[in-house]
Amino acid sequence: MKNSSSYTTVAYLFLAPALILMGIFTFWPVGYNTYLAFHIYDIAEGTARVASAEDGGYFTHFKYIYGEDLFHQALKNSLLYLLVVPCIQLAALVMAKLVNNKLPGMTFFRATYYIPVITAISVAGVAWAFVYKFDGMLNGFLTWITHFVGIHSGFEKVEIDWIGNPDIALYSVMVFTFWKGLGYYMVLYLAGLQAIPAEVEEAAILDGANAWDRFWKITVPMVKPTILLCTLLSTIAAMKAFQEVIVLTKGQSDTYTALFYVYDQAFRNYNFGRAAAAGLVVTFFCMILAVIQFRFFGEKK
Amino acid sequence: MKLKKMLTVGAAVFGLGLFAAQAQAADKVKLEFWTMNLAPKFDPYFKQAVTKFNAANPTLEAVWVDMNWDQIQPKLIASLAAGNPPALVNFNVPWVHEFAAQGNIIALDQYLGADKAVYSTQALADVTIKGKVYAFPWYNSVSILAYNKSILDKAGVKPEQLTSFDNLLAAAKTINEKAGVDGFAPKMSDPVGLFYYLGLPVVENGKAVFNSPKHVAVVQKFADLYKAGAVPKDIFKMAFEQEIAAYNSGKIAMMTTAPQALKRTETDAKAIYDVTGVTAFPLDAGKMSFGAWMMDFVVPKGFKNPAEAAKLGKFLTGDEQQLLFSKATETTFPTTKKANLDPYFQAGANSKDPIEKARAVAAKAMDGARTLTLPPGTLTDEAATQKVLADNFQAAVEGRKPVKEALDAAVAAWNGKIAK
Repeated sequence: MKNSSSYTTVAYLFLAPALILMGIFTFWPVGYNTYLAFHIYDIAEGTARVASAEDGGYFTHFKYIYGEDLFHQALKNSLLYLLVVPCIQLAALVMAKLVNNKLPGMTFFRATYYIPVITAISVAGVAWAFVYKFDGMLNGFLTWITHFVGIHSGFEKVEIDWIGNPDIALYSVMVFTFWKGLGYYMVLYLAGLQAIPAEVEEAAILDGANAWDRFWKITVPMVKPTILLCTLLSTIAAMKAFQEVIVLTKGQSDTYTALFYVYDQAFRNYNFGRAAAAGLVVTFFCMILAVIQFRFFGEKK
Repeated sequence: MKLKKMLTVGAAVFGLGLFAAQAQAADKVKLEFWTMNLAPKFDPYFKQAVTKFNAANPTLEAVWVDMNWDQIQPKLIASLAAGNPPALVNFNVPWVHEFAAQGNIIALDQYLGADKAVYSTQALADVTIKGKVYAFPWYNSVSILAYNKSILDKAGVKPEQLTSFDNLLAAAKTINEKAGVDGFAPKMSDPVGLFYYLGLPVVENGKAVFNSPKHVAVVQKFADLYKAGAVPKDIFKMAFEQEIAAYNSGKIAMMTTAPQALKRTETDAKAIYDVTGVTAFPLDAGKMSFGAWMMDFVVPKGFKNPAEAAKLGKFLTGDEQQLLFSKATETTFPTTKKANLDPYFQAGANSKDPIEKARAVAAKAMDGARTLTLPPGTLTDEAATQKVLADNFQAAVEGRKPVKEALDAAVAAWNGKIAK
């Protein structure tokens, strides 16, 4: 018989590979990032020194970004980006419900909706840039429709600058995120849905509940843990929106996000301290949002 | 067993060889020079250069090391700290200014002596800081103006008219009115470079000054051009690739680009290539050729034999080697006065072939090639300030904001962040 301490040792041994990797690539960077946020990093020497009084004190980087309009704008855009979360969650759940039917060829649809997830973001970005271009596919399609219904005639065209007009560019980028992430959450919901026993739904049908009621009264409550997970994941992804922006607009037209600011400060200014501080602020917002979501969707004890 | 024996013997021979080589190298001065992103494409050129230099200088030994551009600075800094920097390092112009200000590279005037006259004036000006030359000018490139003859004919615009920047803008307008095609798609990502090119100051006496009536007038010209539809609506999304694509598909009449872009036109759009003409990009008040980005060699501080390093530097950037290097790249140009007049470049001056003509046109324009950037360290928060200027410039050109208001806003943002 093994005693409990050797049992724990074995457990840790099994965890070790993942823990070591996470330690190196996640915990250490997070910790060092926090450390850097309060230091001045010298790229030439490769050393960090404590932000002294002449530098503006311990909180100098935070003070700087507090007074920086560009960062405020970026943070506003990142928070605005959260609008994509409810849309993507609802759509993914509905779609999961649809592909959960046992109809022939359903695997094909499941696979198709998942394709955007596994497409490299840079490739997808190039394709979507063509869609959104001034003389691109979307405007071409809309032109065709307006001609069809008779709003436009002759050589008139729909000319909406989807990713160039500051008023709508951010929303266009959000649509891209929506398209790209939908399949991922759909698969998670699908797993959640399949865990719902068939009897529950059958009983509801016998009781005379319609599809609408069954969706809101049975499906949604029963996948609540999945909703929590997915909402959390997509909230964090939305707060961290950066790749979408860099491939589509490069931060032009008021699509500059908080993480784009972090990137610019770190890799264009080489001011790692300030970048770390801005990154910490983003993390802080992510955490607040996570707490709120646990309150909403978490299991009540 | 046999394998083990072989390995032992192999190791012994190798070790002995290494020892011998080291012993031999001991009485030679080793001159390591670093370049950025040139291997393996230009291996034959460097092999030739190293062999030739070493043969002519029996006491010296040049060693070529190529690395990715983003490794150069960290590796150099590490080697400076360790006290064994290389003899020469391939820098771009902003880096020269940055390192000269830090005092990590040495002034070369005493080693250059009379050889200074070999280089073109503007090339030297690029790397002259407070009256001292800090680098050996090496290769460079400039923009040329390629135009679609049939579109220009249709619009009644003659290439000979394109002698100033104003004429170029006017031509774009005429082309749009008469031929229904966008005139051109100049790169809009760098307002600072544009101001320099037009001979307008950006920062003076610690203050941003790009909201003067002159600056406003220039930006207004672009705004008018945009409003008239003489430049593509999505011009702020267009970079090198997109401009070539637009030109190749006949969407713009003129292309302001590096000579190598024409190769793409030749292979991708033969019909357009056949009606393409080439002329110089006009000089403006700044008297600077457009689109230059010079490469050079610096000598790090702390290298023990600076005179020998300079000897290698002068060899690599001399007429003969620069010409050979340009022949190897086919798309870059020497920064020495004489090499650009070589028949290799000028043979195509009257050629009907756009690429050959472009080579001649660009080589001639090399005299005015300045690398147009704000001196590094001018701004305390380069990323944010450049972004504010770029955003306001875009808003002004696209007509979302009055020009004066946009430039005022950018100036205000800059003035808070100019290094004292």
